Amino acid sequence: MVQSGLQFEMIRSELAEVVGDANISTTETDRLVYATDWFWLPQMWMDRGEQPRKPDYIVRPGSAEEVSAVLKIANVYRIPVIPWGGGSGSQGGALSVFGGIILDMKRINRIIEIDEQSLTVIAQAGINGKQLEWAVNEKGLMLPHYPASANCATLGGYLAPRGTGTISTKYGKAEDLVLRMQVVLPDGHILRTPVVPQHAAGPDFFRLFLGSEGTFGVITEATMQLDYLPQARLLRAVLFDDLTQAIEAGRQIMTRRLDPFVIRLYDPRSTASRIRKILGYELEGAYMVLGFDGDPDLAALQEEKAMDIIGQFGAKDLGREPGEAWWKHRYDFYYPPQSLKLPWMYGTTETVTTYDKIERLYYAEKKAVEEGFADWDIDFIGHFSHWFHWGVMVYTRFIIKNPPEDAKEAVRLHNRVWNTAMTAVMENGGMVNEHHGVGLKLSRYMQRQYGDAWPLLERIKKALDPNGIMNPGKVGFGF
Amino acid sequence: MDNLIATTENCRYCLMCRHVAPVGHVMHDEALTPHGIALVVASQRRGLLQWNEESLEILYAEPDAGNCRAHCVTDQPLPAAIAAVRAQVVRDGLAPTAAHDIHDRLQEARSLFGAFVPAKGESETVLFVGDEGHNLRPSTVEAALNLLAAAGVQAVPVGIGLGSGYFASSAGFPSLAKALANQCIEEVRAAGARRVVVLSPKELFTFRQLYPERLGIDWPGDLELVDLASLLARAWTDREFEILPDASLAPATYVDPTHAVRVPERFDSARALCTALLGQPPDELFWRRDRAHPVGSTALQFTRPDIAERLTKGRLEDAVGRGAHALICEDPATLHALEKHAPSFNLEVIGLYEALADAIR
Repeated sequence: MVQSGLQFEMIRSELAEVVGDANISTTETDRLVYATDWFWLPQMWMDRGEQPRKPDYIVRPGSAEEVSAVLKIANVYRIPVIPWGGGSGSQGGALSVFGGIILDMKRINRIIEIDEQSLTVIAQAGINGKQLEWAVNEKGLMLPHYPASANCATLGGYLAPRGTGTISTKYGKAEDLVLRMQVVLPDGHILRTPVVPQHAAGPDFFRLFLGSEGTFGVITEATMQLDYLPQARLLRAVLFDDLTQAIEAGRQIMTRRLDPFVIRLYDPRSTASRIRKILGYELEGAYMVLGFDGDPDLAALQEEKAMDIIGQFGAKDLGREPGEAWWKHRYDFYYPPQSLKLPWMYGTTETVTTYDKIERLYYAEKKAVEEGFADWDIDFIGHFSHWFHWGVMVYTRFIIKNPPEDAKEAVRLHNRVWNTAMTAVMENGGMVNEHHGVGLKLSRYMQRQYGDAWPLLERIKKALDPNGIMNPGKVGFGF
Repeated sequence: MDNLIATTENCRYCLMCRHVAPVGHVMHDEALTPHGIALVVASQRRGLLQWNEESLEILYAEPDAGNCRAHCVTDQPLPAAIAAVRAQVVRDGLAPTAAHDIHDRLQEARSLFGAFVPAKGESETVLFVGDEGHNLRPSTVEAALNLLAAAGVQAVPVGIGLGSGYFASSAGFPSLAKALANQCIEEVRAAGARRVVVLSPKELFTFRQLYPERLGIDWPGDLELVDLASLLARAWTDREFEILPDASLAPATYVDPTHAVRVPERFDSARALCTALLGQPPDELFWRRDRAHPVGSTALQFTRPDIAERLTKGRLEDAVGRGAHALICEDPATLHALEKHAPSFNLEVIGLYEALADAIR
């Protein structure tokens, strides 16, 4: 931590020598803007007029070499370094909880190569996700990672927390799409991982950096797998009376490998609230959107087979329009005033587990949260949206429309809800998170989540970052 | 005004227009994105920061170019909200000198870039020339009048060197903007016009949207507003005149003018004229059509010239990255900004209307 005015200025001068004076800021206003990401707690804190913990320096490096030089300075002075992409993380992963240097990566944003033969793109980590998508679209290609945050997140932000996008059910999570990375280690050493991930030439160390959220190093470049833009994208919606049958139908579609690019299943509460609000449909039951893409004939056949399964469960076919409307408006949920927003309290307690456990987990969490916070008239909604061969993610959310006005009281209530939800998740075989990452929010659950494997992660952290400068307070690691 | 300022509450934690936010893109600074600026406003209202030199630099960094709103599915009028906040800052006596300079020049001369010349003559159709057209690039105005004549439209120029109110509004002076708006309408009325052909996308947006939304002035219903590029494209399609393609100008890369995203119905018209002129479709920038970035021809050129220059150079870098040698555009203000820096990028700048005027028969 920066101790004094003189030390502060000395460090500022050293950082400015690396990135140039125009690329470092220590103004109060800039530091305030960088004091919050998309985590509810700091937003609420500032919303209630409370001063947040601010970073000391905002530094905008222009290359991996500059990142390396900044990390070397940070090690000398034992200053925390917090990588910052789009600031769109919902877990507090970009918060400077101990002050220090915010490393804003957005200047490192070039596309280095688009390989139309191997269908890969090499891009720097600070590039905006949508801008990268537009660039590969011009070649008839897509980076099939479509998170709701694509408009604001960076490529590095896709990878660091192991993000998932809307079409992951077919194309995989961001971590499944990366072939190679350039990483700057905490001591400033710059490395490139092997040219491809699928090999047998030793251990798969490059995955250490996926999900480490900047605690093991800074991702500065990545080679990503692309796909052809689909010739056809078939969408439709169906309505189930019963959530259990809907989950089973989804499981059968997945385990028979019918390859949908999306199965989005809303629980009855979400169907009645979010679907009604955004799409205007007044429906009772579990609303499911199904999508198949690629070759038109193949997609049509896959859809036909999936609809055979759906039919066995008595679901009502709502046709194409509700499915296409969902696709068109799928991100409208995130635009104010349609999005969840302050002064409400809300959180996404999304989790993942295998099919044999998922329904029990969902109802256990729902019961714990609804009964535990009935006095607060808590609303618990969810949808099942990233499906695997072996299980599914459930995107559960809680909403309290009249939380405490006092900021400290609000923090305490918020954390009690999270403790209740995460306890139910872990006791029922779920992971504390599937795709938003850990950040500050879930950091305190990591030891419990990993059990006897946790010391191994701590040893890796100690070996890579002996001074503990990299994003302290996140992913279970202290400072 | 309070309703407008409430927009900053919606935008303070929304990041959904980041991908098209031009200032954030060229400056790589979270504080200079729509979210960042809205958060600064919201934080000032909550007492987390004060308006001072550094925070006002951020408030005056918002370009008022419309990109955020053009991509907002809930149509948040953030540029208008920022203008309203700036007006509050002016009332509180805190506005920066550069903003007051805009006010004083417009108050005195009705023009920011030179002189205002009262219109002469009457006609059913007038060409609204504006401040930049007359004072920065008169050749464009002359060409526009020739093209209109070729299309069979006899138009009297009005608003010659006259500020439309856009800059006054953007800098936080709504009363002055209202006065300029009324003067613009009076000029048109005095010419006996029923149809107003507008030279610049900026003025088309100002008359149609800024007046009612920010100033409470509705553009008169009996005065038809017509975009020049759209009128000419239609006339060419209808064979009112012919264009002799000039292959020596091709290939050229089309630059959507500043404010183009606010009047998206023009996208194809300007390109159709380029195609007719070049004998082939123009090449395209990466930042084009609904994602077109502005050059620095907004009020930033006075309040944040550093950012204005970066925006203009950003367009030129985009062009170089696409392998362009020549840029083509119709808007006087955009052309003026591009020409200032194009030589250092080895790029030629072509005025679309001037080139068309040479190519008609």
